[in-house]
Amino acid sequence: MKEELTKIEEIIANPNEIKISNIQELMEALFAKLKNRVDNYIGDYPTFIEPVYLEENVKIGDDVLLGPNVYIGANSEIPNYVEISNTIIFDNVKIGENFKLENCIVAKNSSFNFKNLNMKNSVLIGAANLKTELQNIGF
Amino acid sequence: MSDKEEREISRIKEVESTNLARDDIRELVIETKKAVEKDNDLLANKIHRSFLDNNIKSFDIVGAIGAGKTALLEKIAEKLTAKFRMLVICGDITTRVDADRIEKYNAETIQINTGRECALNAYHIHQIIKNKDLQNYDVIFIENVGNLICPSEFVLGTDKRIIVVSITEGEWVVEKHPMLFKMSDIAVINKIDLKERLGTNVEKMIADAKNINPEIEVITTSAKTGENIDKLLELMGF
Ligand SMILES: Nc1nc2c(ncn2[C@@H]2O[C@H](COP(=O)(O)OP(=O)(O)OP(=O)(O)O)[C@@H](O)[C@H]2O)c(=O)[nH]1
Ligand SMILES: [Mg+2]
Repeated sequence: MKEELTKIEEIIANPNEIKISNIQELMEALFAKLKNRVDNYIGDYPTFIEPVYLEENVKIGDDVLLGPNVYIGANSEIPNYVEISNTIIFDNVKIGENFKLENCIVAKNSSFNFKNLNMKNSVLIGAANLKTELQNIGF
Repeated sequence: MSDKEEREISRIKEVESTNLARDDIRELVIETKKAVEKDNDLLANKIHRSFLDNNIKSFDIVGAIGAGKTALLEKIAEKLTAKFRMLVICGDITTRVDADRIEKYNAETIQINTGRECALNAYHIHQIIKNKDLQNYDVIFIENVGNLICPSEFVLGTDKRIIVVSITEGEWVVEKHPMLFKMSDIAVINKIDLKERLGTNVEKMIADAKNINPEIEVITTSAKTGENIDKLLELMGF
């Protein structure tokens, strides 16, 4: 699992490479190995479709649906009404309320301070206070 | 949809009951409820089509808490996995206990933890099967969250729905929970091995089920002794 995560992080550190990389294959390889670990989050009782792997100290809001195939890095925050499947979120990420992410990667330390987003097949990077400021690269 | 409308819908999700909706959003609450039900039915149809296209037999099991849904699935898996490739999707509020029990009998399992939701819906099932190559399975079972109320709001797109109650719940359990009996194809009255000990009026339970739904097949079983498990499989078309 760590191996794929490291490779994916290397690729997204160089946004120009994302489109020409084998990132989709790496994600699938990771999901095929992904174990289920959902007993360590902070929050109420979200819905999980396994496999979902949560690192330490993940905060989860109400009415959240995670999975299948979701990895969430340490200290990341998933607020209310979020739905995520086939997606990797790295450490220290904060996404907005009512985000729907499918087959996405969110780079570490990203912070999105707006609500309502529906995104597929993309890498999301950086900080954005408005939807229009969002940096996303399709793959 | 505007931000304001989305906020209203978020609030409706929290209100959940039309009786509690404020007058100014009552109409929107009702419309949203209807749309949710319609979307579930459409999705369930789509799921059923993909099961049929892949020659998969599919069943979903609903029933009271602790009635023996998982125990029956253990027995079923024990008998079927020698011949059929079996996938079992288990719905529970939390934990992986049921999936782990069934996995011991060589079925592939996927656990859904529904958290604060009291039933599986077609969307949950769709999320799973869109990630799976359905050609790898011959039979799919879905065990719903244990309760006799919420699952009646959502069909899941299986060939047959099986409702399980047990005689420890008392002879009134069937007549008090007609909705799921109305929409199910097979009613299983389980823990029949305890009949003498409890003195439950099983004949009344059978008559009630038939009364509510004359089409329903009723069978008494024991997942403990294995009584009538073969008959149940026969009713399911094996
Ligand atoms: N005597 C007897 N006990 C049974 C029978 N079937 C199940 N049990 C027991 O009843 C308890 C509950 O059975 P489960 O199979 O977990 O019931 P369930 O319907 O899956 O329960 P939930 O998933 O929690 O709603 C267990 O201790 C089983 O061993 C039966 O036919 N006879
Ligand atoms: Mg069970």
